[in-house]
Amino acid sequence: MIELLLLSRLQFAITAAFHFIFVPLTLGLALLVAVMETMYYRNKDETWRKMADFWGNIFKINFAIGLVSGITLTFQLGTNWGAYAEFMGDVFGPPLAMEALFAFFLEGTFLGAWIFLGHNRQKLKAFSMWMVALGTNISSLWIITANGFMQHPVGYEMVADGSKVVMTDFIALITNGYVWYMLIHTLLAAYLLTSFVIMGICAYHFLKGNNNEVFKKSFSIAVIIALATAVMLPVLGHGYAQYVAALQPTKGAAMDAIWETGSSVPMYLIQVPDSSTGSNSIQLLGIPGLASFLYTGSFSGTITGLNQLPQGELPPVEMIFWSFRLMTILGSLFIIVALLGLYLQKSGKLYTSKKYLKLLIWSIPLPYITITAGWIVAEVGRQPWMVYGLLKTANGVSSVPTSDVLLSISLISTFYMVLLIFEVYLIKKTVVNATGVE
Amino acid sequence: MFDFLTHDMLAIIWFFLWCVIWGVYFIVDSFSLGAGLLVPFIATDKAQRMQIQSSVGPFWGGNEVWLILAAGGTFAAFPLVFSKMFTFLYLPMMLLLIGLIARGISIEYLHKDENPQIQKILMWGWFAGSLLISLVLGVAFANFFKGLEIASGGVYIGTLIGLFSPYALIGGVLFVLMSVTSGALWINVKTEGAIAAKAGDLAKKSTLIVLVLALVYLAYSFMGIEGFTTNYSAMPALYLLPVLAVVTAVLAVFFAKKDKIFPAFCSNLLAFLFVVESGLASIYPYMLKSSVSSEYGIDIFEAASSHMTLSVMLGAALVFVPIIIIYQLWAYTLFREKIKETDHVEY
Repeated sequence: MIELLLLSRLQFAITAAFHFIFVPLTLGLALLVAVMETMYYRNKDETWRKMADFWGNIFKINFAIGLVSGITLTFQLGTNWGAYAEFMGDVFGPPLAMEALFAFFLEGTFLGAWIFLGHNRQKLKAFSMWMVALGTNISSLWIITANGFMQHPVGYEMVADGSKVVMTDFIALITNGYVWYMLIHTLLAAYLLTSFVIMGICAYHFLKGNNNEVFKKSFSIAVIIALATAVMLPVLGHGYAQYVAALQPTKGAAMDAIWETGSSVPMYLIQVPDSSTGSNSIQLLGIPGLASFLYTGSFSGTITGLNQLPQGELPPVEMIFWSFRLMTILGSLFIIVALLGLYLQKSGKLYTSKKYLKLLIWSIPLPYITITAGWIVAEVGRQPWMVYGLLKTANGVSSVPTSDVLLSISLISTFYMVLLIFEVYLIKKTVVNATGVE
Repeated sequence: MFDFLTHDMLAIIWFFLWCVIWGVYFIVDSFSLGAGLLVPFIATDKAQRMQIQSSVGPFWGGNEVWLILAAGGTFAAFPLVFSKMFTFLYLPMMLLLIGLIARGISIEYLHKDENPQIQKILMWGWFAGSLLISLVLGVAFANFFKGLEIASGGVYIGTLIGLFSPYALIGGVLFVLMSVTSGALWINVKTEGAIAAKAGDLAKKSTLIVLVLALVYLAYSFMGIEGFTTNYSAMPALYLLPVLAVVTAVLAVFFAKKDKIFPAFCSNLLAFLFVVESGLASIYPYMLKSSVSSEYGIDIFEAASSHMTLSVMLGAALVFVPIIIIYQLWAYTLFREKIKETDHVEY
């Protein structure tokens, strides 16, 4: 049983993480390409057309794999998490079906139209891309609505025998505060990632001496988005963290490895948690009351510690703690990189700043790592609960033969590895050749 | 919302919608799947391959969403069925998944790289994906009509091998060939030149094979499958479904022979639709029929979501399904010109 649970979790983690390599770039590029198509339609400037084509090609490659890997997740809710599907279907099913009705049809239908429409039908082409962008962004709303319920259940009622939850208030489901915090945070992170990918690719071409209008203009747009989102993320993220700490005290306490319940809790600048002892093996440079202030808004506020939890309800503290650190540290770094980029561009030194351009290229993976770390905090942080306070992860798993799960996990992982290599190869080729960009 | 409908009535409406969504999926994806099944065999060079790719390229994604809606709709309206269906058929579902991924990636990436070796792999990936999808679904639906080995307490005692009964195999082959026919007719409608002629010739033969297979399948269903006729006896009007399936399959043969390709295409789609609906009509009120004993089956009333969920979803479906159908039809009119060998789309 433990093995089955572990394998099922591993399979879901692998497929979800794989899917989310492609989603953020899709979200951001869809909007940007739609803007580029519109600009081209409005002022017939060839630079905009070349930009839409170049970034559109990268979008297409990325979108295809995001689309097919998303289906895996829906399937797995039935195949591997059948007990969860039964328990939660009444509440979780509707957002999923709405995602298909409101978003996937838009994406699927208009993506085909956008790809196959020639530039002689510019108005329709731009319109189609807007529909795709609308679809992808609406899609995230619905999936986060579903996920938001798992984090903070609202608008439901448990049936008398405790076997499942039923929806009692659909409006409550979609106005769930958690959903909106998470949605804005996720979308901003997606746009940040997109801007860093664009800056990185532009940097590659600047280094090669391709200082043409397409990359210059793309960079100017991306650097502004990068700065705006990099600044907004920690500001909103702080509000989000406070909200989470109030709703899910366990996750909040794990993010900062706070073991004992208390008031005026200090925040330590150097800290190494150790869940085997239920304390921090190292904690140095404490700032009195700061943790309390950050979590509750008052320096003397009370925080519930992890040791308060009943036996067996401790989430993997180290994983959450370090992921949270990684996310916040990289998040701060993004502000510096973006500011530097804006400064170099304004002072006209950008195209010759070899070191900075190289830094940009090496920065491409960083938002991916940051986003993954963020998801680990959010999803691992609610463990051992699958639906917070309602259903334990261990009780959500399907009763299928372990060998079947082992087979499917190896099959899917191998398949995904091949796809990833192929996709990276194609994107690299598209970037290096930059066909049509002179 | 919909307070004037009882929970049972909502469940019945959702079963009806469920049948409609599956039916729509099968017919709209049949020609994208068929094109994939045919591409390695009828396209002789890259130009012809691209014609086939361009004929389904703008549509396959939107078509596949009907399958996702069918899955999502099952999850929302009948969560118990969603959970059981995917758990019981764990390995077939994984095969279907691999098929869906292979098909999608292959169509999108087919000509993204000039390397002929890669193109060849992707072409066969497109074929293999399409084959897996149509075969697995054909076998799965035949098993739904026949009943799964569900024992007392909702325990599944079936095996993977057990799913491949002669009846299920005929179902699988029928779904594959219906898709092939649909694809051949579609290629003929949408393209010009050698590939169109080849597809047209093929369709003439395959419509005939489909007719014969459909007759065998329906006869087997009505005579060899336990409980298949129960609903038909109770409500003889349902016989219209298999009758229409046969009539439209005959019409497909007739129109294909007369080179009236578009009517032949529509007839074949309708034949597919009526074959599927004939089977679905037989299982009501069960969604997962049990071949062990009918009392172990999972019926729509037991599986249905709450009144609120069913009515919220019904409201959403009533507003959005018509809108979706309108813009999907509009997309078809957008690309109504025939694709020539010389056309070059930056795909």
